[in-house]
Amino acid sequence: MPKAIVYLFVALAFAATSCKSGGKGQDESIEIPDSVLNEGLEISEEVMQNIVQNISSPVEMASLIKELGVPYSNKYISSTDRVGNLTTSFQQSMNLGVYAADLGYLNMYNKTSAVVDYLTAIKTLADGIKVGQFFDFTTLKRLATNSKNLDSLMQISVQSFNQMDKYLHSNKRSNLSALMVTGVWIEGLYLGTQVYKITPSKKLAERIGDQKLTLEQLMLVLEKYTQDKQYEKLLVELRTLKDLFKDVTIRYEKGEPQMIEEDGMLTIVQNDISIIEITPEQLTSIIEATEIVRNRLISF
Amino acid sequence: MKKYITIIAIFILTCPVFTYAQDISQLAAQCAANAGDVMYLKDFVVKLEEGVPGGAPPVARFALLLSKGVVYRFSVCSAPNSEGEAVLQLFDMNTMMGSTYNSTTGTEYTRIDFKCQKTGVYHVFISFKEGKAGEGVGIMSYVKKL
Repeated sequence: MPKAIVYLFVALAFAATSCKSGGKGQDESIEIPDSVLNEGLEISEEVMQNIVQNISSPVEMASLIKELGVPYSNKYISSTDRVGNLTTSFQQSMNLGVYAADLGYLNMYNKTSAVVDYLTAIKTLADGIKVGQFFDFTTLKRLATNSKNLDSLMQISVQSFNQMDKYLHSNKRSNLSALMVTGVWIEGLYLGTQVYKITPSKKLAERIGDQKLTLEQLMLVLEKYTQDKQYEKLLVELRTLKDLFKDVTIRYEKGEPQMIEEDGMLTIVQNDISIIEITPEQLTSIIEATEIVRNRLISF
Repeated sequence: MKKYITIIAIFILTCPVFTYAQDISQLAAQCAANAGDVMYLKDFVVKLEEGVPGGAPPVARFALLLSKGVVYRFSVCSAPNSEGEAVLQLFDMNTMMGSTYNSTTGTEYTRIDFKCQKTGVYHVFISFKEGKAGEGVGIMSYVKKL
């Protein structure tokens, strides 16, 4: 009788696995449940609901740089040669974010040949922290080989990151998600500041100054994990930047939002405006510090 | 014996969870595709119970950091089996910036574009008309720089 139950169990286990395999590009390897890994610190559901999303996006800074007409340069992005040396979940999560930002930049400039290297690096790191099943590498690689598919490539890669992020949150590994977000943010800021050095513009200066608010939000998230010394070390680095952003002034002008209805769509123009005041000296200090901090973080 | 039965029950119960995850992920992909010529940024999956009569309708709330100088598009889709129709609202602090449904005029909008002029934390609320139970997904996309 017990043998029969074992056979039934194996059959049902197989059925359950088949049920799951409907998703595209699922990783066939055996995954270690996160409850077993349990690397993270639990955050209550109430706190989770208040976590600010979209703190950093691989799209927004890269898009601004492209729209400013700045030519592409591979000097601004992180080399994928380092991937093999990234062995801890801390390093892997942080650099996953860094490469995600770089992938956004490459996609924006249609650099399909380099995209595959970055997809491979991301897949390796995602597997390292057991979220590789959300990264549909086969489809992304196929899309990357055809420049007509770049919008889909961008969408699927952003969706994959969102899925990884949600999975980490729901499996008590929000600490790793926070590192991914940090990686995206620091690489985005590095990209923006490096571009500014060569091609200064008012819009980019404003965008850099505006990161004062983003950094504050990011630090609020990271401060939840200061029991871990590595996070404390990370915060020390970010505080260096925070000190430099302290003197950037952001003031507000009040105004009523304007609503325009057209073709079943509603457009809202916000008339509450923030005005960012950043001096050339402040910019220089931030640019220099960002380079130092980013280079330290990617080799933590 | 009890242990085996528990394990088998877990496997049987897990299967519908995977199916639900696939359905909602397909709905998110479809909804993102309907958002137009924009770049997908985030999705907000919502499943709410029916509201209590006389009480406030259940709402799912999401905090977001939006950046100055960016046009964001918000759209919402209800799941095919959803009882209620999903409504998305965007708030800046306590001020509602816009909604996909104007309850006063009964006007529905397929999507709303928000020209952000102030970097900060905003909130997306998703609820279902008349406080009905429902499932749906909200999509936030990047339109362009101002």
